[in-house]
Amino acid sequence: MATQIVMDLNGDTRHQFDPNDAEAVAKAERRFKELTGSGFVAAERTSSGQSRLVKSFEPTASETLFFPRLVGG
Amino acid sequence: MKALFWLSRQISECEWRARAVCGLFRSARNANTPELRGLRLLRSWLSPAQLAQLDAKGYFDVIGGQSGKTYRIKFGICANILELAEDGRPKVGWCVVPDGCLVAGDVMLAQKISLETCECAALAKANRFGAPTR
Repeated sequence: MATQIVMDLNGDTRHQFDPNDAEAVAKAERRFKELTGSGFVAAERTSSGQSRLVKSFEPTASETLFFPRLVGG
Repeated sequence: MKALFWLSRQISECEWRARAVCGLFRSARNANTPELRGLRLLRSWLSPAQLAQLDAKGYFDVIGGQSGKTYRIKFGICANILELAEDGRPKVGWCVVPDGCLVAGDVMLAQKISLETCECAALAKANRFGAPTR
């Protein structure tokens, strides 16, 4: 199972999907586009403690994290 | 004597912060509050060295992906990033946070990823504050 983790008021909300299920993958891709389109940044964990930004939907990513765009505090 | 007093104050401050973070995590390991969810998420994305530093000192260091500079992310939701000088002393503070109301663990994780992967873009949005004493 692959997981999309979205930071929110609850800490985070997790959406799991089966990368082999075409319908689930399409839904996950729609979620990716909606979130990044509304300003969320997507990141994938590559190895222990390392991460990289993700610009387009990757169905094979085991865990993708979405966090809101940064602003000056 | 003054330096000794300053140093002992720094140490006790760090120990207090580390105890608070560890205590929060231990005392509510099974709870599911937003704060603890954020803390769990942060812990799962930190490197082993960063996790050990967080547990011991209540903060962790990240290396800027573009400049190689060291930033210290302290437990908190704003004004919690310190850029360190080469001697390890705080040089300048930066305040940049994810847009919206997020818990500390989430804020710190977003800051870590941003500094490690798109440091310049993150700092371009950040507000700078004066060299703190700790």
